[in-house]
Amino acid sequence: MIRAWIRFWQTLLAILRELADERAYQRHLLVHGRAPSGEEWRRFSEERLRQKYQRPRCC
Amino acid sequence: MGKFLRTGVWILAAVVGAFALAGIALRRGEPVNSAWLVTAAVCFYLAAYRFYSAFISAKVMALDDRRATPAERLRNGHDFEPTNKWIVFGHHFAAIAGPGPLVGPTLAAQFGYLPGALWIILGVVIGGAVQDFVILFASVRRDGKSLGQMAREEIGRVGGGIALLTVLLIMIILLAVIGLVVVNALKGSPWGTFTIAATMPIAVFMGLYLRFWRPGRVLEVSLIGFLLVVASIFAGGWVAHHAVFGSWFTLGGMALAVALIIYGYAASALPVWLLLAPRDYLSTFVKLGVVLLLGLGVLIVRPDLQMPALTQFTDGTGPIFAGKIFPFCFITIACGAISGFHALISSGTTPKLIARESHVRQVGYGAMLLESFVAIMALVAACALEPGVFFAVNSPAGIVGATPEAATATITSWGFPVTADQMSSLARHVGEETLFYRTGGAPSLALGMAHIFSRIAGNEAVLRFWYHFAIMFEALFILTVIDAGTRVGRFMLQDFLGHLWKPLGRTSWMPSVLLTSALIVAAWGYFLVQGVLDPLGGINSLWPLFGIANQLLAAVALCVATTILIKMHGAKYMWITTLPLAWLVTVTFAGAWQKIFSNAPRVGFLAQARLLEAGPQTAQTKQLIFNNRLDAVVCGIFLVLVAAILADSIRVWAGILRGTREVRSFEAPFVPSQLEAEELG
Repeated sequence: MIRAWIRFWQTLLAILRELADERAYQRHLLVHGRAPSGEEWRRFSEERLRQKYQRPRCC
Repeated sequence: MGKFLRTGVWILAAVVGAFALAGIALRRGEPVNSAWLVTAAVCFYLAAYRFYSAFISAKVMALDDRRATPAERLRNGHDFEPTNKWIVFGHHFAAIAGPGPLVGPTLAAQFGYLPGALWIILGVVIGGAVQDFVILFASVRRDGKSLGQMAREEIGRVGGGIALLTVLLIMIILLAVIGLVVVNALKGSPWGTFTIAATMPIAVFMGLYLRFWRPGRVLEVSLIGFLLVVASIFAGGWVAHHAVFGSWFTLGGMALAVALIIYGYAASALPVWLLLAPRDYLSTFVKLGVVLLLGLGVLIVRPDLQMPALTQFTDGTGPIFAGKIFPFCFITIACGAISGFHALISSGTTPKLIARESHVRQVGYGAMLLESFVAIMALVAACALEPGVFFAVNSPAGIVGATPEAATATITSWGFPVTADQMSSLARHVGEETLFYRTGGAPSLALGMAHIFSRIAGNEAVLRFWYHFAIMFEALFILTVIDAGTRVGRFMLQDFLGHLWKPLGRTSWMPSVLLTSALIVAAWGYFLVQGVLDPLGGINSLWPLFGIANQLLAAVALCVATTILIKMHGAKYMWITTLPLAWLVTVTFAGAWQKIFSNAPRVGFLAQARLLEAGPQTAQTKQLIFNNRLDAVVCGIFLVLVAAILADSIRVWAGILRGTREVRSFEAPFVPSQLEAEELG
């Protein structure tokens, strides 16, 4: 039972981190072999947000 | 679990669902508890997911986990990334759930709770979830292509062009109508206006925090932003009663519309990280939290539905919007039952995250069922209000009378007793001056939600907090749709204008950014102002236009889906998508035709223009006449677009079925999956 709850919270947190683009940032760092920094975040988020806000939003 | 036990459970669920549905459909003359409605919906969803979606995935799509998805084959760590199915589910749900499933069912409650409830439950099972599921599947099999690309490839250039044009047109109408919902919710409400105004500096603070102070800490800054927004709700109560500040934030409809237009322009032209993105993060989390809270609230409180199953307004004389139950109920509720916009999400980010083909069912079909459940919750919240209060809040002055006494007398004469004192007392309880003439659904939904929340946490004393919390929640994510939508519209326009003159297509060239932002804002701003000036409340004209446009996009998506199914199986399974398509085309045609040509002035745009022409001519009357004719033209364009895409699709289908047209598959070739289960943690 406790294990199921832990799994549930982990999944919930992972969903929130995906929605927050934090997981995408981790993937970006992994793919490019870079360490987290302010400069790196700005580079990542500019590209990410540019793509994100070119797609229509749902009503 | 043994086979017999499993069968027994499903038989039990079917019996309980049928019994609950019969309960809400047949009981008359006394309030029905919302638990019946929730039970009927949940049993239907479970059965549909277990059997219908399983049938489609096994027999029609033949989903195959041995086949590598584009997330695996084209993996790049950015948009293509195999992701845990629950994470994709959450991501997809957050993307499809906008204001539509909350506002549409609230407005349609004027027909009673039954038509909306039946349409939401049946529409999603047969139409909406099928559309999302098939389009997501098609996109996954085609390297994550967009709806427009698939329409162009599968049907032809006409289909692709129409898809693009439709999206732009819907966007304009959508932004105007949801802008009007916000304007009507905030007019004369210093508390609400202050709270919403405060979200802007909060968003800018979040943007700076994220960019310079704590880069990448989105969850952290969102939590801080949420706490600040809650603090601003409390501060709003103080501001509203302040002698000076109170008057600053007491704005009329036109002032709010102008403020919204300026805001939309600024949000479109400003760097995205400064205002739009942080606000979007915050709005997404608040939205999910409130939806969860509303679901829990309805389950715990189980309020009685005060609204009758059917009202007399099924005959087309409804005060919020005119038009008979057919087709207008099915146009008013789009999101929650079937929404064309979802096809854009199902062929956008989501297919690029799907790790295994079998996940398509849970994400495509399952997430839409959940959105439908949100629509049911909104319907419950609206119908739990006393009908007299519901109509007093939502009816425009042009219909019920310009004074509280006149309005309550009119509404009482309809058989829904309400008094001016009762409304005044309710307004005091929620910290407002008045709750009359707030057409648009947001305040009545907020009232319903506040009643539910206050019964869980607190009592009448906290009603005002929950009311303004609900208003903040609705306005926050409606504004996020407005600023993001304006930006997207600007990009689409730049893409188009770039073909005429290249520099106009450059998204980094400031003159082009400013010009195209102005054009998009002017387009939706015009319709917004039109809605504010409309003596019938604006929603009467704009919401059906938006509904027709949205269903048109669903028709485009279902045409693409049908073409793909015909290419896969011939005529055998085409009924899966042609059934909802036939219904949507019937509804859209009937709705658009009536909005243009009906002789009833409150329904037909041209009849309304003729009526105004017969009266005294002032500058405002002339403007209203022009607006009605413009709406008729826009509606006519939608009709022509539906006819064109349908004719083009039927031509393609007939060619394939007769064997006179080459069946060309655009599916990506089979590549065996190498993905390990642990990669999806």
